[in-house]
Amino acid sequence: MNTPSVGQQPHDRGHSEGHGHDLAGLLAQVACGDHAAFEAVYDQLAGPVYGVARKVLRDPAQSEEVAQEVLLEVWRSASRFDPARGSAAAWVMTIAHRRAVDRVRAENAATAREQKVAPDLGTSEDVFELVDVALDRQRVRRCMGSLSALQAEAIKLAYYGGYSYPEVAGLLGLPLGTVKTRIRDGLIRMRDCLEVSQ
Amino acid sequence: MSVQSHDLHLLTGAYAVDALTGDELDHFEQHLKQCPSCAEEVRGLQETAARLALAAAMAPPPSMRAQVLDATSRVRQLPPSGVRLIAADGPRRRRRLSRRLPRPIAVAAMAAAIIVLAVLQVGTRHQLQQAQSANQTIASVLSASDARIQLGTSTVGGTVTAVFSQHDREAVITASGMPTPSDARVYQLWVMRGTSARSVGLMPGSSAGATAPVLADDVQPGDELAITIEPAGGTRQPTTNPIVEIHTRP
Repeated sequence: MNTPSVGQQPHDRGHSEGHGHDLAGLLAQVACGDHAAFEAVYDQLAGPVYGVARKVLRDPAQSEEVAQEVLLEVWRSASRFDPARGSAAAWVMTIAHRRAVDRVRAENAATAREQKVAPDLGTSEDVFELVDVALDRQRVRRCMGSLSALQAEAIKLAYYGGYSYPEVAGLLGLPLGTVKTRIRDGLIRMRDCLEVSQ
Repeated sequence: MSVQSHDLHLLTGAYAVDALTGDELDHFEQHLKQCPSCAEEVRGLQETAARLALAAAMAPPPSMRAQVLDATSRVRQLPPSGVRLIAADGPRRRRRLSRRLPRPIAVAAMAAAIIVLAVLQVGTRHQLQQAQSANQTIASVLSASDARIQLGTSTVGGTVTAVFSQHDREAVITASGMPTPSDARVYQLWVMRGTSARSVGLMPGSSAGATAPVLADDVQPGDELAITIEPAGGTRQPTTNPIVEIHTRP
């Protein structure tokens, strides 16, 4: 992965530190069947894709299955990526998160969820940190710290926990409307703190 | 149900973290089409959510890399023209597809490779006709709009690929890298539903590449596709623990 650049411009479309500018270009090559480009995409994104699946699903085997499906989906539909509509990383991570959430909700339809606690960033023992994401993680954690406790908790339960917002409301014992606005306000504050391009 | 557009606008955050479900998701996606400012906000919040994902990166199992890269040779890519087709459908339709149905994994290249394999393995004209008929069914599954690829790793090594179409109620299964079973043993494929197991047939070993495809019919979401090692000729019921199980999902 690229070395994080200190002087990164905030309006540089949606690319976070440590994740290459060339991801969109690589995807264009992947769309033409370029296996080497796909390997490069894999090396940049397999960690985040697997990581988000682990956050939501917990189970390593299921997470690996979902991660494989997501990465193959990236291979398959690279031609559908439209750089005008957002960054390559956001495109892939949106697919990954939806897949993980779809899976966890399908599982939950059969069995009740055991864990009711919001997972935190990188605290499990079996999580071995990737050096490259340390800065990402640090910034996200710092920005998460600038939110109100309720905003942060609601976002973590929704994003890392994979809970629907009515479920988040139930877990936190708050009205639906409150959770709805906390998630939105919190994400907007995160967006501004992270200087994500719009 | 009438919802104030102001209320709908407040759902941008929940939408960006995939926390909307059911009717509310449909209503919001309908609203997004008519609300450019909402769409713009959603885009920014999805970028933000992606940062949460990047921060959660973990090293995947090392074996995953080869499996994924290997599987790309069996997955046909969508043509660029699909961009317009999808755009014409609009975000709601597209999202509904991605939510309710599996993302279709079209696999013509895989189908072609599979058909060649199948044809190579038959000799007589009669066998060829049978194979062609089976191949038509296989091609139909592989090109089904709801076809979905699922992978399983065998405990004896190798990868099993299943393409499942809920609509066709059929699945096509191939294996690669599975060692040839020892003497007087075979791989047998089963559809497990609840406590019952139905034999689909035998699968060859495949250490030298992908096996010929096996078609399983009457497959429902939730069924397990399982392979066991059995005495030559196969058995009526599994006698050993599966070396791989794939849980079919819609």
